Amino acid sequence: MSRQNESTVLFDALGPKGRQRSTVASIVSAVVILGILAYAASVLAGEGFFEQSRWVNPLDALVVETTWVPAILDTLLAFALGSVLALVLGVLVGFGRISRFGLTRWASTGYVQFFRALPLILLIWISFTIDGHFGFTTDTLGWSNEARRLTFLVLGLGIYNGAILAEILRAGVAALPPGQAMAGYAVGLRHGQVQRLIVLPQVLRNMLPAVLAQLVILLKDTSLGYVITYPELLHSANIVGRDYSNSFLQALIIAAFIYFALAYALSKLVVLAERRLRKKTAAPKAAAQLESEVAGGQAGVVI
Amino acid sequence: MFDNFDLMVAALGAGMWTTVWVTLTSYTIALAIGMVLVVMHVSPAFPARWAANAYTQLFRNVPLLAVLFIMYFGLPKIGIVADNWVWALLGLGMYTGAFVGETLRSGINSIPLGQAEAARSIGLTFGQSLGSVIMPQAVRAVIPPLGSLLIALVKNSALVLAIGVTELTAQSRRLIEDNASRFDLWGVIIGVTVSYLLIALVLSYLVRLVEKRTAFVR
Repeated sequence: MSRQNESTVLFDALGPKGRQRSTVASIVSAVVILGILAYAASVLAGEGFFEQSRWVNPLDALVVETTWVPAILDTLLAFALGSVLALVLGVLVGFGRISRFGLTRWASTGYVQFFRALPLILLIWISFTIDGHFGFTTDTLGWSNEARRLTFLVLGLGIYNGAILAEILRAGVAALPPGQAMAGYAVGLRHGQVQRLIVLPQVLRNMLPAVLAQLVILLKDTSLGYVITYPELLHSANIVGRDYSNSFLQALIIAAFIYFALAYALSKLVVLAERRLRKKTAAPKAAAQLESEVAGGQAGVVI
Repeated sequence: MFDNFDLMVAALGAGMWTTVWVTLTSYTIALAIGMVLVVMHVSPAFPARWAANAYTQLFRNVPLLAVLFIMYFGLPKIGIVADNWVWALLGLGMYTGAFVGETLRSGINSIPLGQAEAARSIGLTFGQSLGSVIMPQAVRAVIPPLGSLLIALVKNSALVLAIGVTELTAQSRRLIEDNASRFDLWGVIIGVTVSYLLIALVLSYLVRLVEKRTAFVR
């Protein structure tokens, strides 16, 4: 059942009576939904949720300049570094799992199974805690506090999502028609060359929607920097909320809105990537199979 | 390495128990929300479709931790107060529900068009064809991805430590930070890892069991 007609296939082209019923259903559901929203709004208004000062104060020009903008930049910095690390690890480990060398396969599988099983918050927090417990401490590097926290956040994000990207890429290799690699060997390429020149580029392109969808999750997970007090968005929202205690909820909602805008923009890229993928691909059969799997960029993604 | 082994096992066991019941309860909530969302998604009434879409987009694009903070720290500021475990279950359930809804929808997409046409041609209404022809097949088709969501929820449930629910991660944190002298760091790390692996193993075994039980021959 294709996407376009999923909403119409379950009921027939309507006759006059049916159209009437459907109109009634639409109006009733609209009234119910608007009623719920209006009730929520009236409760919120009764508690002064919409008071202008509560929204204006945390968005004061000075606060925006000293807190919100740096927070967005810090979030994006952690996201960018974490994505790069995750992609590098994902490619290395993903191809490690299908390596010809038993030891590499074994180590890569162990990596994926171990890091996929643990909550990211635990990884970030443990890596932050063991720093200094085993003779080596990042203090000796003379880093600023923020650089230390950024390092551990990026390490956690990269290592965890690297394991998940590895699985996504491995699924992409499995979905690639074997003739592609065979053709590579036939023209005399070595194993490494086949993987690097033939398999990897196609897998990266085919799996782009799923990879991007996982990066949306990575962007949202930068909020876990909160547990090690990295000054990302959520942490900064808490600080703003403490400074303007009347606007605590408002500050959190502003932060949520910024996350939404960033993640939504990124997930629009997923849709674009899917559309491009549908248009041009060297392996139409694999793409058709993937398309059904991807279903909104969800294949293999771990929330 | 495992100093005070019995104390550690007791603490991690308590944490495991909390993690498991928080996971299972909030997953039940998520399944209910996801089911409602998918029915709204395919319904003939367009306001219902819009509302379902808005809900899904909202929870797919906002971090879970932000959702939990808004509920537990934000809502009391406007007089809406509840215990932290209530918000933990609701927050996890509502967040995961959006993903369950999307998964179920991809399940409906995987059912051949002929099934819906056949249901319609023997005169079933929208509710009947959805309830007795499409959904039973769609749910079976997406049991593995629904299982991955359950495993993901086990890990996401660690976030509720931020609103003061002492589940597995919070317990291990307490063992290390408050009782550093009594427990070895590596011992606790290994203990908590084994606990999470154990939960994931048992749950994925159960998911496979459900998958096998509900499988049918086409």
